[in-house]
Amino acid sequence: MTGSPLKTLRILLVLTAFLMAGMTAAFLLRPGASETSSGNSLRLGGDFQLQSAAGPVSLSDFRGHPVVMYIGYASCPDVCPTSLAVMAQGFRRLDMEQQARVRGIFVSVDPDRDSPEKLAEYSAFFHPNLVGLTGTRAQIDQVVQQYGAYYRIANLDNSALGYAVDHSSRLYLIDADGQLNEVLSHSITPEELATKLRGLL
Amino acid sequence: MYSLSRLGAPLLAALMFSGPALADIEISDAFVRATPPGVDVSAAFFRVHNTGGDDRTLTGASTDKAATVELHTHSEQDGVMKMRRIDGIEIPAHHDHRLAPGGDHLMLIGLTQPLVDGDRVELTLQFSSGDPVIVTAPVWSAQTEMDVENRIEENKHHHKMP
Repeated sequence: MTGSPLKTLRILLVLTAFLMAGMTAAFLLRPGASETSSGNSLRLGGDFQLQSAAGPVSLSDFRGHPVVMYIGYASCPDVCPTSLAVMAQGFRRLDMEQQARVRGIFVSVDPDRDSPEKLAEYSAFFHPNLVGLTGTRAQIDQVVQQYGAYYRIANLDNSALGYAVDHSSRLYLIDADGQLNEVLSHSITPEELATKLRGLL
Repeated sequence: MYSLSRLGAPLLAALMFSGPALADIEISDAFVRATPPGVDVSAAFFRVHNTGGDDRTLTGASTDKAATVELHTHSEQDGVMKMRRIDGIEIPAHHDHRLAPGGDHLMLIGLTQPLVDGDRVELTLQFSSGDPVIVTAPVWSAQTEMDVENRIEENKHHHKMP
């Protein structure tokens, strides 16, 4: 399914990423670099406010709970439900006490089709601890930018769908203090996710 | 990642002597995604075995459970998932192709009812030549699907037709 040129491209991208990480580290660790200059612009994550069916919700409301966040859209038929199922199965692999503490956040970047009410039902289908949030375009774009995510509305002239949403598909692991701990591939297994969550509990 | 495409010659031979002689196309491992509340789209997945000597192209499908069925594919570029409609999926002679999560799928648009784990969906598949092929696919929740995927992984080398 994946052609070898794509694989080569991917390897090049990974190598480029390593190179840039190395250059960034060298820059940050250079003699005389001050603590303050190394901070916020490079650090992903942070608080945000979006809308739930029950009113505004901020990430800071989840203080004390490790959070797994996913950014997608509800009419995504394949990638999003698979990722949310992995999240839910990861939660279910925890013991009852641990499971009661973890939270999931599904952020829809498609507020035209996904109302907060629809997202509440949609999210509960996967796990009772998963909440569905969306917001204004500005609120959504802020979260997407803060977490280094990506989305783009792609008009599909030849499809009854009208449009699809191209989007990055990652699980954002956030610790109980609201700090982004790790950005995970959606191909992670439920067991691997559960192990990472146990590390934050 | 999901590709299980390398089937051995013995299996191909077995396929050629199994099913009815008129059918060069065999469908296996079909399932349709259960829908979360409020969602009226779903995806269908299956494996197409082309046991004949001619290349065939899957050109479309229909079902009484959805207003529209389209062929879609996913591509991943720099971690960004893109879903697009495609006109056909070619299955070369004596090959098989799996429409699998994360790749090609039938997109069911405008579902007439929610699809619940345990339901069955009849799909009529059109190919570039030959008669339509009818397949009845079970509806699976994500949990059922994961269990089955795990079993497929475990039994990779013992794959057989249902």
